[in-house]
Amino acid sequence: MSTLDSGLPEHVGDEEYLARFLTQSNQYTATVVKPAAFLPSVKGRETSVSRHGREPEERLWSIGAEAAGARNLHGVAILKARAVRDAQLDVLAAEPPPYHAAIRGWPWIEADPALQKARQKALALQLVSSAGAPLLRNEVQRSPV
Amino acid sequence: MGYSALNGYARYSSGVSNEAGALMEAAGAVVQAAEDSQSLFGEKAAALSLLQRLAADCADQGWDGADACPIDRTALRNSKDFVRALPDSFPLPECAAEPDGSISLDWIQTSHRIFSLSVGPSSRLAYAWLDGADCGHGVESFDGVSIPPRILFAIKAVIGYEHSRLRAA
Repeated sequence: MSTLDSGLPEHVGDEEYLARFLTQSNQYTATVVKPAAFLPSVKGRETSVSRHGREPEERLWSIGAEAAGARNLHGVAILKARAVRDAQLDVLAAEPPPYHAAIRGWPWIEADPALQKARQKALALQLVSSAGAPLLRNEVQRSPV
Repeated sequence: MGYSALNGYARYSSGVSNEAGALMEAAGAVVQAAEDSQSLFGEKAAALSLLQRLAADCADQGWDGADACPIDRTALRNSKDFVRALPDSFPLPECAAEPDGSISLDWIQTSHRIFSLSVGPSSRLAYAWLDGADCGHGVESFDGVSIPPRILFAIKAVIGYEHSRLRAA
């Protein structure tokens, strides 16, 4: 199996954790990541994630800061690749940047954008359910290590 | 005449006369005055302000750091109309920006019980819901004044609205 620059295998395993960084305060509440946070980009038709779990935190937030760029990094939603595949979507490695991957396979119905959005939302809700509560950056900074 | 009916006059002008235009303008002024009054409009005024702030926060192309579209002006207006049309004392939604410039209105109980509505520039509303192991999605038309009954029913079912009202009584 080939290895990427990050040292990760090219295939994203079902048990790998994926991090979706939250850069807008409207993307989450204290207990839930909102479905809009998982919807795909318009042009790329995919959702960017990083192949990383909660630990080690220092590297998690370092990757997040890189992903956020000039935007504020509020927190992160973390879920397993298996949850993405259970929703009939797929996740594929997409380096560079290191650890980057993309959730693909979102329904696209050119003739009916409303139905397309409804189906995308239904899938996003499954990801929301799997992700649970977001890991917020301030909470991490406040909590004792 | 009730607030909802006035809002209908304020939104649409089916007449072409000067009188019709004056009526629409007057209705709009009454609606605005009602919304400006916290005591009359309560939490809905705050919800409308949040929508306005969301649109301002996501007014630039690429607000997500990628290729997200700015919040569409018509989507904002439709979202406000939807919130205005909600029955009094009905729980108000959370709002979020979507990458295509639409606005998501979400009723969230837990991460397993959510109703999510997408309001874009068209009159067709996309929605999906998750209620434990049960889930679904659909599309309904919105005339800007009356919430489609199927959507209202689904929101109530997901958030347990009737149960909570009974408990409170």
